[in-house]
Amino acid sequence: MNTTRHWPQRAFILSRALSRAFSDTPSPTFPLKHVTRSNFESALVELRSHVRAADFVAIDMEMTGVTSAPWRESFEFDRFDIRYLKVKDSAEKFAVLQFGVCPFRWDSLKQSFIAHPHNFFVFARQEIPLDRTSYEFLCQTTSMDFLAKYQFDFNACIHEGISYLSRGQEDEARKRLISPKGDQLTHPSHNLRETTDLPLVRVADVLFTERMKKRLGEWRDDLLQNRVGGPQEEKVPDDLNQQFRTVFFKMRPALSLDGFTSHQLSLIRMVTRKHFKDLTYVCFNGESTSEELVVYTDSESDKARLMEEVKTDHQRRAEMKINAAVGFRHVIDLLSSENKLIVGHNCILDIAHVHSKFLAPLPSTAEEFVSCVNKYFPSIIDTKILLNADYTLQRKMKRSSTSLSSAFSLLCPEIAHGFTRNVLSYEPCVKVEVHVDEMRSSNWNSGAKHEAGYDAFMTGCVFAQACSHLGIDFQLHSPSENLTQNEKLQKHMNLLYLSWINGDIIDLRTGNRSAELSGSNMIRKPYRKILFKNILLLWGFPSKLKPSMIRDCICKTLGPTSVICTYGIDQTAVFVQFSKAELVSDFLNLKETLEQSNDAISHLHPLSQLLEGGNTHAASYETYKEICASPISKVLFADQAEAVGIKWKTELLPSDKEESHDNTRSHLESAMDSPQAVEKSKSRNTEDVVNDSSNKRFCDDIIDSFLKVEKIRRTTNL
Amino acid sequence: MVILIRRRFFGTKISPNSHRHKLQWSVKQVTKSNFSDSLQEFKSHLSASEFVAVSLQNTGSFSAPWNRVSSFDSPETAYLKVRRAAERFQLLQFAICPFTISGSKVTAHPYNFHLFPRDELNTGMPSYSFSCQTSYLTAMARQGFDFNACIYDGISYLSRAQELAAKVRMANPINLNHVVEASSSPPTVADTVFVERVKSRIKHWKKSCTDSTSKKIDDALVKSLQKLVLGGEQYGSRPCMTIDVCSERQVQLALEMLREFFDDLVALKIPTKGGGTQAVRVVLTSSKEDKSLLERELQNAEEEQNKKMRGFREVIELVSASQKPVVSHNTLNDFSVIHSKFIAPLPLDVNEFLNSLQSIFPHIFDVSHMMKGIGPLENVTSIPAAVSYLKNRFFAPVEMELSHGALLDESKIHGRTVVRICYLFAKLCSVLKITPGSIQSSDGKVLDGYANAFRSCSGNSEESLDGGIRIWTNSPRKVDCKDLVFLWGFRNRLSAGMLKSLLQGSHDVFSEEFDVCLVDKSCAILVFFHPNLSQAFLDVMNSEEISGSLSELVSEGLRAADYDTYKRACSLGLWETDLASSLDKASATPDRLSQSDPETKPAEIYWCNDLIINLDDL
Repeated sequence: MNTTRHWPQRAFILSRALSRAFSDTPSPTFPLKHVTRSNFESALVELRSHVRAADFVAIDMEMTGVTSAPWRESFEFDRFDIRYLKVKDSAEKFAVLQFGVCPFRWDSLKQSFIAHPHNFFVFARQEIPLDRTSYEFLCQTTSMDFLAKYQFDFNACIHEGISYLSRGQEDEARKRLISPKGDQLTHPSHNLRETTDLPLVRVADVLFTERMKKRLGEWRDDLLQNRVGGPQEEKVPDDLNQQFRTVFFKMRPALSLDGFTSHQLSLIRMVTRKHFKDLTYVCFNGESTSEELVVYTDSESDKARLMEEVKTDHQRRAEMKINAAVGFRHVIDLLSSENKLIVGHNCILDIAHVHSKFLAPLPSTAEEFVSCVNKYFPSIIDTKILLNADYTLQRKMKRSSTSLSSAFSLLCPEIAHGFTRNVLSYEPCVKVEVHVDEMRSSNWNSGAKHEAGYDAFMTGCVFAQACSHLGIDFQLHSPSENLTQNEKLQKHMNLLYLSWINGDIIDLRTGNRSAELSGSNMIRKPYRKILFKNILLLWGFPSKLKPSMIRDCICKTLGPTSVICTYGIDQTAVFVQFSKAELVSDFLNLKETLEQSNDAISHLHPLSQLLEGGNTHAASYETYKEICASPISKVLFADQAEAVGIKWKTELLPSDKEESHDNTRSHLESAMDSPQAVEKSKSRNTEDVVNDSSNKRFCDDIIDSFLKVEKIRRTTNL
Repeated sequence: MVILIRRRFFGTKISPNSHRHKLQWSVKQVTKSNFSDSLQEFKSHLSASEFVAVSLQNTGSFSAPWNRVSSFDSPETAYLKVRRAAERFQLLQFAICPFTISGSKVTAHPYNFHLFPRDELNTGMPSYSFSCQTSYLTAMARQGFDFNACIYDGISYLSRAQELAAKVRMANPINLNHVVEASSSPPTVADTVFVERVKSRIKHWKKSCTDSTSKKIDDALVKSLQKLVLGGEQYGSRPCMTIDVCSERQVQLALEMLREFFDDLVALKIPTKGGGTQAVRVVLTSSKEDKSLLERELQNAEEEQNKKMRGFREVIELVSASQKPVVSHNTLNDFSVIHSKFIAPLPLDVNEFLNSLQSIFPHIFDVSHMMKGIGPLENVTSIPAAVSYLKNRFFAPVEMELSHGALLDESKIHGRTVVRICYLFAKLCSVLKITPGSIQSSDGKVLDGYANAFRSCSGNSEESLDGGIRIWTNSPRKVDCKDLVFLWGFRNRLSAGMLKSLLQGSHDVFSEEFDVCLVDKSCAILVFFHPNLSQAFLDVMNSEEISGSLSELVSEGLRAADYDTYKRACSLGLWETDLASSLDKASATPDRLSQSDPETKPAEIYWCNDLIINLDDL
């Protein structure tokens, strides 16, 4: 059935290479090093030596999707912990299809970096049955469509992708494959099936046991005679010849049992144990099938030796099987154990995927996540941080987008466009020579954008160039020098954007979070401080209401300055930012009273428009967190809230005690709760109205355009 | 001698290794590129055929062992299970085969449509995301499935419900000339002012348009000035004008006023994204002929767009409109998927689902249900097994004739299951002595027992079994769901037999006959064959006076719940990996279900020891 496979992987790579060859660039083109199941072993050996010699390793990956529901996209109104929950949700639900690894080594003779771009196709199969739950992953249709647009080879991935086990799964597999059966073999008497003698109820069973007893006895006696008289042709009755074959097992004569039912086998096992001291029943697991044998042993000690041999054999086999099943995780283990500098571009999601797929399930808080990541990968640099944090680089980038492809073409024009060195260019570019198997090129361009391996290569080039702009001179660089210790890189080391939209940065070493250095990025508007205590979450309101109408509706009851702005989560839910925290509970109480009284006045109340339909829910910001933390993902927020199991319509939080508790819980918020911050928010009032009416989620066009890039980058890992 | 002849006979046609040589049927593969041509072909094949067989390829079916429909499921829980699967997983291939049976000859026209949901309108439709089970994908890969072809070139679709929603969002102009109704309320002053103002504007604009065309002003400056002053625009090649409206009332007024201009004006409604009306656009046509030309153009454009939106659903609509009987192997699964992807989201209630389905596909045949008409076949679940079973037992020659000829190229093998279904159906008709002609003439009454089979059979898969089966299976018994108890919280890796022996003698209720089987590794079902004992047992479990070995089990964490708790777990969507944790959660939530629906009909399932075997190899 499975002899020929009809998938055009080679054809694609070829056509990509060809189209590139006939287009504008004269640069030599050969494809990336694609790694699948078939060449994984050899590629891993090579990669080991490359990584060991590398100065840094760039990584990138392609996933089946980014957000499991529209409301799980990154919002301005996401608090720090919510942002992590969204990253976590994405990494848990989607699968990694491609993993790009590109080690870069500085060659002082050639005065250039040597890069080895590898493109691993990854696909988790259930190679070892761990439990009965199935492996399942989510696909976002737009992401799949996007990958298809860039000719992603799904066949290569699903047919030939490399499987993996996480550390946790490996331990579980060890427990399952090695210990229990080993016990069974070493201590056969402790086995339940052994100890309980099968009751011989049926006549057939009694007859069968007697026959087996006779047959085994004959064989043993024959064996002992032969030992004296030398090897002879055995005389076995014809009908049993098929089922009993004399073989040698671990240098001992043995009978291979074939064609018995499991019931019959257990009867034979019982007979062996009961009547023959010098025979041992062994179940031997081969590559694919398991063999049942009755082995002759000279003595008790020989028997023990045999059991020991069988056990080690079994363990070795299991070990090999597990080792093979660990598969792609060997690459991750390699990156971790070599302690190399890992370079990624806007890579929080990538790192989260690495954590959840290969290390352990993602912890529930960002702090735990960060400390775990730091343990395995002590030095990570995000090129997006680097590009946005440094002024010289900002200037270099001419303040254009810091998406990977635009950074690559601006910082590394020679590689990106195949320009020959401009004589007038006063700033020399860092040279990168690419090695793929036997082929090498100093101005390589595979043209295969959105292949993880190529994206990793671009990331590495951008990093090398950025380092050079930061004043790191690779020509003075000695092989012993470690980039991770470089002082010019220290202030950018281990910082990741938890969310690019808000410029929220997390420090992997400490778990501290900070806003982006103000003024570092001139394009971006400074972020407004958000007081999460002042935020009300509303959902399930009549679908015809737009966020601006909801704002008007609330302003009519709580005063014209009560609402700072409204912000649509999706068509079924909005955030309402009040000017004061008390207004949240005021609103909740008012809503509750209105819904309980059913008189004419409540129908005339301005809020009745909002409560129409009787399905309008309101809650504080903490409920938003609860909903985001749920593993469920419904497309619409209102459906999600219902699925999470929110039964009440109005969350009441009148007690002051709780509020003070709230304050201690999030000290950072209260720190922002300064009069200035409030003042600032108020002054933005008019602007927000404009935003609301245009039904845009984000403040201004520039950020908006940034977001588009960001979104593309996030869906595609540009 | 016989062997020799056989070999010569087959030797030229098939490779010696092929066991399924008779089933090397060629199926037409349809993707985006050849969809519209194939659709025409399919249409004519459909109208010439008596039946339609369908077979679906999904990206998965159940996430945890207990999520699969089992024999202890009542129709409600079975439906909830397939409903979850249909919503969660994606349909990638839809094989469909119109066929006719005449005597022993079956004429079949198999098609295999490759589907992929594309969010072309960026609205999360037809689906925002979907789940994949790796085991399903690897199994498909083993059969040589081309994922690239499917994702690059699969046909998209929208369900009926989604199409309606999309139309609102697309905000396409809608021709209003034919939808004018008389206004109900008397005009107010504001209305009159509005009407007069618009009227004069239109008159003015119309006059200037006709004037300018007669005078043929070529001066670009004058033209653009005119445009500025009069607010005239172009709709295609024709001049048009936009009337801004603030309410539906004003739309009404504008239309009424426009009636006197309808000779050469076409009014279009420009909707907002939310479904309201933003403006009314008036297009000027040069003559009556020109006007009807424009109207036709508009209509064609709309049809074209609808077609594009419907995509593959066109096939479903054709089958539904033909009212031809649909044959499938796993009807409950297949039709829940069809309903959720092409009709509307699946309703919560199974009866609502069946009613909705009935209105779309009035005649549905389940071949696996028909197989039960033959005899006790507890192990014949797959189609090949069913075919070989019939082959070995009955003489019912069926000759297949396929429209797309013999297999020429290996890429055409996908979707062959649907041909096997046709074959099996024809064989079954012959064995069960059902003449296909009579199905048509008497409107399916002959097959009444089989048609729409899942109405009665969902879950109760052992229905037609009766005594006298093999030694190792006891005869299945009808068991009231009330007599079932779910047990969990026992030690890990406990077998059903061990659990049963633990329970035996632990309490008086176990002195009568009872049975235990495992649902998954965490949970077991306990069945009492004597009425009221289940309630007695549950009462004991809830009381404080547990004694003996049962109390020991309870202190180890043993818990019990009735069938309603299980139902609640399904209906609340508590699809945890282990049934035990789902039941834990379900028993923690208040029993809203039974309060709102006090007279839940006593459901029954068929209990059979065979179940234990089935569940063990889950």
